[in-house]
Amino acid sequence: MASVTLRRLTKTFDRDGKPALHDLTLEVRDGEFLVLLGPSGCGKTTALRCIAGLEEPSAGEIRIGEREVTHLAPADRDVAMVFQNHALYPHLTVRANVAFGLEVRRVPKPDIARRVQETAERLGIAELLERRPAQLSGGQRQRVALGRAIVRNPQVFLFDEPLSNLDATLRSEMRAELLQLHRALGATMIYVTHDQAEAMTMGERIAVLHEGRLRQLGTPAEIYGMPADAFVARFTGNPGMNVLRGQGRASSEGERGGAGVVDCGSLSVPVALEHYEGEILLGVRPEHVSLCAVGQGVGNAAVRVVESLGAETLVHVDAGGQTLVAKLPGMVELHVGATVGVHLDRRRLHLFDGAGERLE
Amino acid sequence: MTERSGWRALAFGGVVLTALLTLAAARWATARYEGALAERAAATTAAYLSLVTPAAKGGAGYELPRLLIESHAVGELAELTSRVEVYHGTAPLVHATGSPLPHALLERLRRQAAPQWNAGAAVAPLLDRNGWDVVGAIAVWPQSGAGPSIRTLLALLVALGTGAMAAGGAGAGAVESGLVRRRWSPACYGAAAALLAIAAYGDVRGVAADSTDRWLADTRLLMQEAMARVPDARSSLSTLAPITRGAEVVPGDSAGPASWRRRVNGEGHAAVAVRLAPGRWAELRVLPAETGSGGWFAVTLGLALLGPCAAAFAAWGARMATQPRRRRETVTAWAFLAPSMLHLAVFSFAPILFAFYLAMHRWSLVEPVRPFVGVANFARMLHDPLVWISLRNTLLYVLYVPVSAAIALGVALALSRSTWGARAVRTMFFLPYVSSVVAVTLVWQWMYHADFGLINYLLSFVHVRPVDWLGNPKTALLAVMAVSVWVQLGYQMTVFLAGLNGIPQTYLDAARVDGAGAWQRFWKVTFPLLRPVTLFVLVTDVIGSFQVFTYVYVLTEGGPLHATDVIAYRIYQTAWEFLQFGYASALAVLLFVVLFAVTRVQFRLLGRRVEYA
Repeated sequence: MASVTLRRLTKTFDRDGKPALHDLTLEVRDGEFLVLLGPSGCGKTTALRCIAGLEEPSAGEIRIGEREVTHLAPADRDVAMVFQNHALYPHLTVRANVAFGLEVRRVPKPDIARRVQETAERLGIAELLERRPAQLSGGQRQRVALGRAIVRNPQVFLFDEPLSNLDATLRSEMRAELLQLHRALGATMIYVTHDQAEAMTMGERIAVLHEGRLRQLGTPAEIYGMPADAFVARFTGNPGMNVLRGQGRASSEGERGGAGVVDCGSLSVPVALEHYEGEILLGVRPEHVSLCAVGQGVGNAAVRVVESLGAETLVHVDAGGQTLVAKLPGMVELHVGATVGVHLDRRRLHLFDGAGERLE
Repeated sequence: MTERSGWRALAFGGVVLTALLTLAAARWATARYEGALAERAAATTAAYLSLVTPAAKGGAGYELPRLLIESHAVGELAELTSRVEVYHGTAPLVHATGSPLPHALLERLRRQAAPQWNAGAAVAPLLDRNGWDVVGAIAVWPQSGAGPSIRTLLALLVALGTGAMAAGGAGAGAVESGLVRRRWSPACYGAAAALLAIAAYGDVRGVAADSTDRWLADTRLLMQEAMARVPDARSSLSTLAPITRGAEVVPGDSAGPASWRRRVNGEGHAAVAVRLAPGRWAELRVLPAETGSGGWFAVTLGLALLGPCAAAFAAWGARMATQPRRRRETVTAWAFLAPSMLHLAVFSFAPILFAFYLAMHRWSLVEPVRPFVGVANFARMLHDPLVWISLRNTLLYVLYVPVSAAIALGVALALSRSTWGARAVRTMFFLPYVSSVVAVTLVWQWMYHADFGLINYLLSFVHVRPVDWLGNPKTALLAVMAVSVWVQLGYQMTVFLAGLNGIPQTYLDAARVDGAGAWQRFWKVTFPLLRPVTLFVLVTDVIGSFQVFTYVYVLTEGGPLHATDVIAYRIYQTAWEFLQFGYASALAVLLFVVLFAVTRVQFRLLGRRVEYA
């Protein structure tokens, strides 16, 4: 087992000058399950491929444990990778697929047989060993791909969106299995995904990437509760945080609450703001928005869309040109076009400056 | 249901019409054989008359009184089987009250030696003693021929009966007619139609055989008569040649007047014994007319089987009556398929079938007689050393394919990046393939030249003595193979490049992370995944190289000492230089069989599928 350290890692592809990775510095602790989260094109897969050795970084360095591996071949890094489409060799049986990494390393035959058998039993694929990948279901392929990784007992596991090809039920099942495997092996795992729910449920820590830069590194609770900027705020949660653009000003006489007020659209939200005036981004998670009678909240808004999900209802309202989503418990009877009052949980407001950086 | 009954009527009409057409075709074929016999008999009779009738004094014409006598004699020769008329000029001699020959016909006979037809009779010219001028004509009326035999009529009844059943079933729905009936009556009808075709062809064949027999019998009589009357003929049989033209006369044994059939040198012959003089017998031998009658079987069978086709079509139409959309789709699909099917049928299947047909005949462009010889061509192949040499050379030549495929794969791997340079080099490799083969080959011929060639010139720098690449039996085939490698490389490389592009990068990435080096990645991942492409390249190029012709034709013409004689060149030479199309077709069939076997083996060896998971 080993830690993985990225220091000022930059990767620029030849075609366009824009770096896919920009000065990425990140430490993955020994035995940690770290999730690289971000929208497609954010550089998370590039980072993973750099760690695997499939891409050579343009600048910066990569260490696995104490070893500097920046320019080593993938074979010499002692990492294993599970690919998005599993990448099982179609012409080989499951047994040969799992054994491939050991065979090319010239592990003695009896050892190979024993380790393949152990791995297969651990993953419940022992009876599939003589089949070919085309004869397997999605979940079985997933397990074989895992087996191919763990049979080599590497220092670091890399996962590149391994569950994205599975259906929803199987995905949650596999998530649990992966976490169990992580606990059992105690190995360092780096897991790339664009699915924030997957990241929240699996990651011990989450690194949010956007446009090749690290936006925030923290536990799921930190990411959810204290997003470092407006991007992280919008990207996490389902649906993501409402971020309204407004103007900050000192509160005038007669207005309740704090020292400052943010006017966004038809809402005037009192905030604990003292020194900031000018453009401000006001963030609030949908679950902290509630609707009330007209005039009772921080402003009024018109109902645009009502999405009933059974256990909860998402209400999209238009507050003077800014859209706001409220997540309300249970089924809610509301007519599109109706005017409602908007109430925000004042303790759960997030303020960002005009560039999106968090204000404290 | 009116539509159902419409289909039923169509089926009935098809059954009756095709049966009648079959009989009509047989009847027509019969008439043609009778006509051919009449033409031949007329020519033979003319030759006989000009042989036995003395010439008029001071001219090449005949003495009219003698001609009159001889004509009557011919007309009344007891055993003679044809009705004959002899004309002197345009005047009939045998039946003096008959209508004269039109002048225009006589003129036509003067201009063309071939028999003409007039008023239902075959008319052959009667030449003067010098064989120079047409002084009269012989007309022979063909027999009208018997109608269909009992056998054929029975077959007709059966075909019509089963056809009616099948047609009735065609109009009925699945529920109305039992499953058994629906299944079996079309099959019965098909068998009955085939029987009808066989019976009708049997009639044709019988008439053809009979026509040969009658000609033999007639000619035998005329020959014996001529021998008795013309003193010259006794010393030299060649005097009789005009009578027996198209037939052989060989010394023979005594026998009765009946003709017989016998195979000589793999060919069927019809023969009759002719008594030339007391104790002196000859055999008059001719190719029987029925030998070439196989084509008529194809005609009758084709026509007869149209009936079951019509019935099946009507049945389909009736079945589809309730599913108009499906019917429309099927009709549309066939309409779209029809052009390419027609193209395939006319330009692929028909020539292939014809080649098989040719392979079983002695077939020359210049000989009118093309007899059936069975497997004689194939038997000859076994003993023909040139065939074995060309087969060996072809097999050796094919070895270039794996060599060039290996090089092509290497080049493809080296050039798989899409940089500017790689693209340029790829184009260079591909150029020979899209250039004119003959032009490329001519350039190579110059490069191979022993005295002025580029290759020997380059070799001279390393002090290698000049090699006569194309003139030396040891190097000629290698030289041809080298050209093939050079031309095919670009094509194979392009196919391999496409194959390499089709291999998902993740497999190679996975192998790299698994720890495989470049060599292991190639052998354990790339090459197995490339197997379908490799198979494609090998199969197409092996098939192509078995048919190699142009390089050989341009570079060496099969030489030196047959060192580059390949099977396709052997076929070409046999057909177009020796004009033995039958034998050449047999060689083509051999090539077909070899290719079929080779392809099967290749599919077995490499055919396992690769499924991308």
